[in-house]
Amino acid sequence: MNPMNGRCAVEVQAVHKHFGRVHALRGLSLQIERGTTYGLLGPNGAGKTTLIRVIMGLIAPDSGETHVLGHRMPDKDVMAHTGYMTQRVALYEDLTVYQNVQFFAVMAGLAHDRRAIEEAVALVDLSARMDSRVRELSGGMQRRVSLACALVHRPQVVMLDEPTVGVDPQLRVQFWDHFRRLNQEGVTLIVSSHVMDEAERCDRLGFIRHGVLLAEGSAAELLQRAGTETLEQAFLHYAEQGPAA
Amino acid sequence: MSTQRILNLARRVIQQLLADRRTLALILLVPLVVLSVAGVLVRMEPTAVQLAVVLEDTGAALPIGGGGTVNLGQRLTDSLSGLGENLQLDVLDAAAAEARLEDGDLDAIITLPGDFSARALQQRELNISITYEGSNPAIARVLDTLLTRAAVQTLASLSLVSSESAPPVHIDATYRYGGAEFDQLDHLAPAFIGLFVFMFVFILTSVAFLRERVAGTLERLQATPIRQIEIIIGYMLGFALFALAQALIILTFTIFGLQVHYVGSLAVVFVVELLLALMAVNLGVFFSTFARNEFQVVQFIPLVVVTQVFLSGALWAIEDMPGWLQPVAWLMPLTHANYALRDVMIKGSDLIAVGPYVLVLIGITVGLVLIAAQTIKRQTLA
Ligand SMILES: Nc1ncnc2c1ncn2[C@@H]1O[C@H](COP(=O)(O)OP(=O)(O)O)[C@@H](O)[C@H]1O
Ligand SMILES: [Mg+2]
Repeated sequence: MNPMNGRCAVEVQAVHKHFGRVHALRGLSLQIERGTTYGLLGPNGAGKTTLIRVIMGLIAPDSGETHVLGHRMPDKDVMAHTGYMTQRVALYEDLTVYQNVQFFAVMAGLAHDRRAIEEAVALVDLSARMDSRVRELSGGMQRRVSLACALVHRPQVVMLDEPTVGVDPQLRVQFWDHFRRLNQEGVTLIVSSHVMDEAERCDRLGFIRHGVLLAEGSAAELLQRAGTETLEQAFLHYAEQGPAA
Repeated sequence: MSTQRILNLARRVIQQLLADRRTLALILLVPLVVLSVAGVLVRMEPTAVQLAVVLEDTGAALPIGGGGTVNLGQRLTDSLSGLGENLQLDVLDAAAAEARLEDGDLDAIITLPGDFSARALQQRELNISITYEGSNPAIARVLDTLLTRAAVQTLASLSLVSSESAPPVHIDATYRYGGAEFDQLDHLAPAFIGLFVFMFVFILTSVAFLRERVAGTLERLQATPIRQIEIIIGYMLGFALFALAQALIILTFTIFGLQVHYVGSLAVVFVVELLLALMAVNLGVFFSTFARNEFQVVQFIPLVVVTQVFLSGALWAIEDMPGWLQPVAWLMPLTHANYALRDVMIKGSDLIAVGPYVLVLIGITVGLVLIAAQTIKRQTLA
């Protein structure tokens, strides 16, 4: 497949998803431009994880469709060019840091490339713990390994589900610097978060609640339209107004 | 289908098992412990042997010394009763002995016909015919020794033979059930060999897969280019290696340690073991989707493993089962494996001879692969 297909990196069209009685996504649509970082903001249970799973083709929507890099999902060939850091740590605890990162690298088609693996581990500042078993690492370190697994194969589109939870502030700054560099290389990032203070680093934000996209735009635009000081206040403003037209 | 991805997954499964030293040790040691205990129990010497002698011998005139007669049947009976406290001997008539053997009150009948002495003197050897009930093979070994000793004593008292040459005693044994050479362990060992590989691979995969799902790594795996069928094949490959290593150790121990009879081809045994391991991987994947934690997954062991052992024909013959149960028994992979392994090990059957069993096993394996691949697709997200 040609990863350069399509103008948008990600397109979501009128997606509905039910889990039993829970209507987790209610006709949600959005488009994400290449080389940008999109922040999905919303409280717990808003539908962020579900949306990411639908975009990745991991769960089939009840209706609507999603495209990644111009291909309708799910598409196994596209998945060689996407990276996914799950909300939970999701690593093989018995294996070492190196073995975990290597496993996901090879899965994405990267033949045994020690350099790429070492780079990914260095990026999350764990070179010294390369041969430690994941079980022996702290929670924050495990999240960093998880991020390395999502980035090791240099994906075009990266989904990061609450990536900075439990990561200390200094490293968080490093992460965001790296995300910026990735954007400059044309990589598209989707970052979900339920804390608003990270949001300003994203190019565009989507406020999501009860499976509905309340408002979309850059942080400045959202603040201006809501006429509020902080994004938190803005979120409450849009939440009272109900979904955007 | 990508070989690289499949091998990558298989390697990870192996790395994980190697990282868990305790599990690894248990996989290899537990079968040996269980088999040793089974070996001791199955081969225990019976505490008392119930023997009946049908003494119809009318005696015969001695060829030398002139005039004297001798009843060798009587002498043999006396020697036998003087031999040991674990031999319970009754002299009965043929009909009564037969009836008690049928009732299971007797272990064996020795019949000494009217011309026993006459023929013994004429042929200069003792021909003793013995009928074993046969369901406990250990008894035959005990009685055989005792009978030989008694016969030697009887002959010695006659000084018909020189003590240097081997005593001319022929024991003609017939068995109501079972056979002479094989004991119960021979009968059970093939089932055990199959069972262990099946059980351990089933437990390992169901737990490994459950963890993969609960930890979220399966979701992550699903977000890579790997396909469901590749995941299944990778798992099968990884676990097959351990299953074969385990089979090798079990087999070596049963044949050389427990001295179980073994006449067949090792290759066929491994083919069957491999198929069992592959089926167990798929059943493990399948059943792990119905469990939310390790406690629940362990509950499937009695269902999947114990039921199969009961129905496999190892403990109870399938022909004796009620009609409706027999088809169920033949649906069980372990049944086919058990019959195939038994034919190979005891009868020395080759791959062609056990072909039907092996084909059924392959068929079941393919079916299970498809079912397991389907279950991964549906049940990814915890
Ligand atoms: N696998 C699932 N089964 C049932 N309900 C689910 C499942 N995943 C999510 N939900 C429900 O869908 C809603 C959205 O969940 P989620 O997407 O995880 O929210 P967020 O990631 O924004 O916290 C919640 O009400 C949640 O309970
Ligand atoms: Mg979430």
